[in-house]
Amino acid sequence: MATRKKVLLKVIILGESGVGKTSLMNQYVNRKFSNQYKATIGADFLTKEVQVDDRIVTMQIWDTAGQERFQSLGVAFYRGADCCVLVFDVTAPNTFKSLDSWRDEFLVQAAPQDPENFPFVVLGNKVDLEPRAISTKRAQQWCQSKNNIPYFETSAKEALNVEQAFQSIARNALSQQNHTVDLYSELPEPISLTKTAPRNNGDSCAC
Amino acid sequence: MEGELPSEFDLIVIGTGLTESIIAAAASRIGKNVLHADSNSYYGGLWASFTLDSISKISGSTPQSESDATKECLTFGNNNFSITNIKEEWHVSEGNIEKLNECTIEDDPQQIIENENWTKNKLLALSRKFNIDLLPKLHFARGEFVELLISSNIARYSEFRSVSRVLTWLNNKLEVVPCSRSDVFSSNNVTVVEKRMLMKLLNVCLDSTDQDFAEYENKTFHAFLKDQKLTANLIHYILYAIAMGTEKTSCRDGVERIKRFLNSLGRYGKTPFLYSMYGSGEIPQAFCRLSAVFGATYALSQSLQGVVMDDKNNYKGIMCGNQQINSSKIVIGLDKAPKAFVDHIKPLRLSRGIFITDRSLLESEKEHLSLLLFPPMNDKNPVTILEMGSLTGTCPKGLYLVHMMTDQSNNPYDDLKYYVDTLFTKSAENVNIEGGDVENRPQLLWSFYFSVPVSNDFNFQKDLPNIFVCSGPDSDLDYDPSIKIAKGIFEKMYPDSEFLPRAPDPEEIVIEGDESNENEEILQKDLDEKCKQQNKQNEITEAENNEA
Repeated sequence: MATRKKVLLKVIILGESGVGKTSLMNQYVNRKFSNQYKATIGADFLTKEVQVDDRIVTMQIWDTAGQERFQSLGVAFYRGADCCVLVFDVTAPNTFKSLDSWRDEFLVQAAPQDPENFPFVVLGNKVDLEPRAISTKRAQQWCQSKNNIPYFETSAKEALNVEQAFQSIARNALSQQNHTVDLYSELPEPISLTKTAPRNNGDSCAC
Repeated sequence: MEGELPSEFDLIVIGTGLTESIIAAAASRIGKNVLHADSNSYYGGLWASFTLDSISKISGSTPQSESDATKECLTFGNNNFSITNIKEEWHVSEGNIEKLNECTIEDDPQQIIENENWTKNKLLALSRKFNIDLLPKLHFARGEFVELLISSNIARYSEFRSVSRVLTWLNNKLEVVPCSRSDVFSSNNVTVVEKRMLMKLLNVCLDSTDQDFAEYENKTFHAFLKDQKLTANLIHYILYAIAMGTEKTSCRDGVERIKRFLNSLGRYGKTPFLYSMYGSGEIPQAFCRLSAVFGATYALSQSLQGVVMDDKNNYKGIMCGNQQINSSKIVIGLDKAPKAFVDHIKPLRLSRGIFITDRSLLESEKEHLSLLLFPPMNDKNPVTILEMGSLTGTCPKGLYLVHMMTDQSNNPYDDLKYYVDTLFTKSAENVNIEGGDVENRPQLLWSFYFSVPVSNDFNFQKDLPNIFVCSGPDSDLDYDPSIKIAKGIFEKMYPDSEFLPRAPDPEEIVIEGDESNENEEILQKDLDEKCKQQNKQNEITEAENNEA
């Protein structure tokens, strides 16, 4: 039987400043919400174990750490993403309009194997707020035009639909990984310095 | 577009080269309010990596035209520290462009292209699979850089490959240098007697103290090796490959380098070296990410004008577009420094050559990441050569990216010509002309030459209070000198603060916020579920262990 590798999914969250990217992450992972807007200090990526069908996977959700504010996300941020979450604020039309450029930016920078079928998920956040500027229909139409991106309306504040949205994100990310993993399964794993260094017995001492 | 930048910071850092990025990260880490800005649209400055179509557009940072609004400030940028002598050559035909345009979106271009002859358009269609370093760096597995990444927890942003073999040029051909104990004993290139001599010598160097070499105080390492009655082959391996030296290297330096090499063996792979996946340009970005996570403001593509001084000629702030932004201190990368700050520094230059080839210099069953230390030939300087394949994430499958670097004596093209001619062939037709080794040589598909300024001299500081100019890239194989300089500047600015203490892992951070009751309910349910899963997982693991 093939050994089942521990699955780690990298998910990145994009969208204009202030649409609630960090709040959505915190609501999902920590079940907490703060009304105070601040570029969260020390928030990097959050991890959460999720069950998708019969598999338990670790989802690593990466925040932009504010580097999106002046269009300064470097290419390194995008590397190896398994799913890209695009967030807009349903009360702020400009945040919806910019989804196109965030999607394009992602496709250029991350340069996925199969750009047409790369999994995106769109979240229309802040549905608890009035007045609403972007209708469900309008958002759905945009998503359909982009190869049927799944769309969720969420409220990080009320914890509305957040769980469901991230479940879908995990599922899509996993399918992306299953799709590409065969291509690379024979390749040796890169070295991560955060793990305990493997010992090469024969070479462990130089002399 | 987004709004304006805030107009007041504790520290402004100009340029996103490695040294600047380390300082930005260290300052943010201790709670300083940092603006990190660059006029480029990419991170890394002279330390960046580029795709194939973008590298030919680099031109270094030339001073910006003195626009009308900026008479009041010292303009950023200088001519001393920019990239010069750029020369690009394609050794393959243009190729058919229409065919590729059709297939790039729908299919993986890689599959279509394989097993065909390479053309310029085929290579450019794969442009984004290339991550071409302006200045590639290797990391000693137990060197200062790796230790800093681990101790600061910045290691989580990068992945690495280990250099899988060290090569040298000996008796007119490429040889694998036996560098670990198992290599030495399995090598066919050294006799049993030589094996013993080599191990003994390496042990002597490793266990030595300065006093042991007192009699060689003013002698070369080469002289020392000769006195040890080693064979010519062994002297070659030790001097040129393991010590990465020349006949002029002093005994003290030679022994130090042997120690540096040996101490890093056996931690991550067969050689002492690591290389960062997707190119060396990832490293400054890792430090910037940490800096952003700790609150720094990041702004690329800024129209950075210059440094503003007050009436008493003290540092005040910068002009960014038409906006004045003030800070108590400023750090400026060498390539962005106003001329007046750096006119006393004479940069050295490295001659660089980058090549795309169709096969490895020394073919083998598996793909290697090779370091070739080419000894000095015909009175030229020794050349450091790195050959990387697709496993490093810097070039497409089936191709190799070869980096050459040497201290500049004339210009990059002439400095490297001998080595290029020795190792490669320029066109497919050459293959049939002569017999022997020629047909196995990799064919050059693309060459790119330039010279890059390096600053091995650490004294940049003029006496300018609150203005700190950092070094640019240097010719060291690793990042040690940059770390020293970054740390030095940080300690001058913030003498009582710790330099890059370990950043907490995400799960260690307590996030403040309101918890509603219904959320708690879900939380409880979720926790129960998780416990169940955990137990199940443990059972499975146990079962697996028992099987094993």
